[in-house]
Amino acid sequence: MISPEVRRWIVSFGVAAILWEAVAWYLDNKLFLVRLGAIGERFVELIQSGELISDIQVSFIEFAGGFGLAIIIGIGFGVLMAASRRVRDLFDPWVSMLYATPTIALGPLFMLAFGIGYTSKIALVFLTAVFPILINTLAGLKTTDRNLLEVVRSFGATPRQIYFKVRIPGALPFIIAGLRVSVARALVGVVVAELFGARAGLGFLIFRSAQSFDTAGLFVAVFILAICGVVCVELLKWIEIRLAPWRFNNIEED
Amino acid sequence: MNAPKLSTRDLCKSFQKDGVSIEVLRGLNINVAKGEFVSIVGASGCGKTTFLRLVNGLIRSSSGSAMIDGREVTAPGSDIAFVFQQDGLLPWRNVIDNTIIGPEIQGRNLGEARDLASSFLNLVGLRGFEKHYPHELSGGMRQRVNMARALTAGAEVLLMDEPFAALDAQTREIMQTELTRIWSETGKTVLFVTHQIDEAVFLSDRVLVFTVRPGRLKEEVFVKLPRPRELALKRSPEFGLYVDRIWRLIEEEVRESIRRETEEALLAARR
Ligand SMILES: Nc1ncnc2c1ncn2[C@@H]1O[C@H](COP(=O)(O)OP(=O)(O)O)[C@@H](O)[C@H]1O
Ligand SMILES: [Mg+2]
Repeated sequence: MISPEVRRWIVSFGVAAILWEAVAWYLDNKLFLVRLGAIGERFVELIQSGELISDIQVSFIEFAGGFGLAIIIGIGFGVLMAASRRVRDLFDPWVSMLYATPTIALGPLFMLAFGIGYTSKIALVFLTAVFPILINTLAGLKTTDRNLLEVVRSFGATPRQIYFKVRIPGALPFIIAGLRVSVARALVGVVVAELFGARAGLGFLIFRSAQSFDTAGLFVAVFILAICGVVCVELLKWIEIRLAPWRFNNIEED
Repeated sequence: MNAPKLSTRDLCKSFQKDGVSIEVLRGLNINVAKGEFVSIVGASGCGKTTFLRLVNGLIRSSSGSAMIDGREVTAPGSDIAFVFQQDGLLPWRNVIDNTIIGPEIQGRNLGEARDLASSFLNLVGLRGFEKHYPHELSGGMRQRVNMARALTAGAEVLLMDEPFAALDAQTREIMQTELTRIWSETGKTVLFVTHQIDEAVFLSDRVLVFTVRPGRLKEEVFVKLPRPRELALKRSPEFGLYVDRIWRLIEEEVRESIRRETEEALLAARR
């Protein structure tokens, strides 16, 4: 038995694949759109040569490093800013400004500063991913329901107990939502960072393939990135629903 | 007469708002005996919630004091439990974990608290719902958890702020009879705020009528109806007389409150 949702996905992708094949056959332009079969063949080749494995490895390390750092620093700084008025006043303008800046534009600068290796990539991924996490952590900790605060206060809760029993659990769903936004940004960060200069990685595979007119190779990288993005976002959505089912109770889809 | 369980001495409260001082309560002297059920009625905005928050120690008085067993209340503690108008259940905790939060905060034995919580959940008719989450319950059920939570805290004094206001009329009547039963079984001292006069008469030994802001005690009415009370009592002539009397006391206050509200709304609109 397959669920209706899975069936919808299959139908949707099936239709898209047929359209893809039809357009590729009609255009007959191997630089713009290659047949899906060709992409599959290229995928197998890249696996066999070992290239793809090392590209995935490199990109994964950059992603995990940058995103992991963004989680630690984003949550840590969010907690600090929520706890201290002074820290908040000091950093608020910077956070707002940097959040609005397309920090990806700093990529070339990071290459110059940290070289072509992991450090510059991790720094760029971190910078693109950290702000949604930080801002959501701060917002989650600051928008605690007054009624809940009053309830635990009425039982004599200490500020510490209020923090751990109400503010943090209340902020968790916000933080997960922040991670969901950040994950997509971090993936973009990985690709763009590698476009500015790299020795390996999925972004670099895109660059390499484009240079040698290997459209099939380019699509291999794009598809892998797309799948990673979807899996991460869906996973976080799943965690969010598990963690805070009451927030989804009144939402009706039509 | 014995020393009162709960008392206030010249209790006053003003709030500062945008540099303006609003006097909310003025010179309240109230005594509540141990085991007594006292209701407060008054126009909306007259300071009823503020009064309960002062007695609980959630906010500090501008002058005067509130006392439990002759000791001044300075901060919330384990001798008073508050039943709020909004149920205030933590959405990430199931029913039993919500119910034991008082003892948990006060660092008491959690095993005992759980047993106590189960028995009170049973008392309010929620046996079998221990593992449910608040969003899986109806408004009436959540309000009963709210009540069980306050009872589990083990305080001798219960402050209740319009706990049934959000419920539909039928559920409210059932909850009223449940509350009188629980009160008579546990011997708590209760201070109960409501805007429903018949609810106040049905539940109380005494009804305090507050004036408009600044809230003062306008009159107290002793309700000398026999106990235990059944819902049928509400249709008796004696009951009607009490309701009429309190309504006449409060009518003028409510009119004044409505007049002020309109005036303030007009002022705000003009700005
Ligand atoms: N924290 C506060 N700051 C400023 N004004 C307040 C505050 N709490 C209550 N008030 C004001 O005090 C008055 C009485 O409020 P409240 O005690 O909630 O009335 P009631 O419960 O009788 O309806 C209202 O005019 C309200 O606006
Ligand atoms: Mg109120």
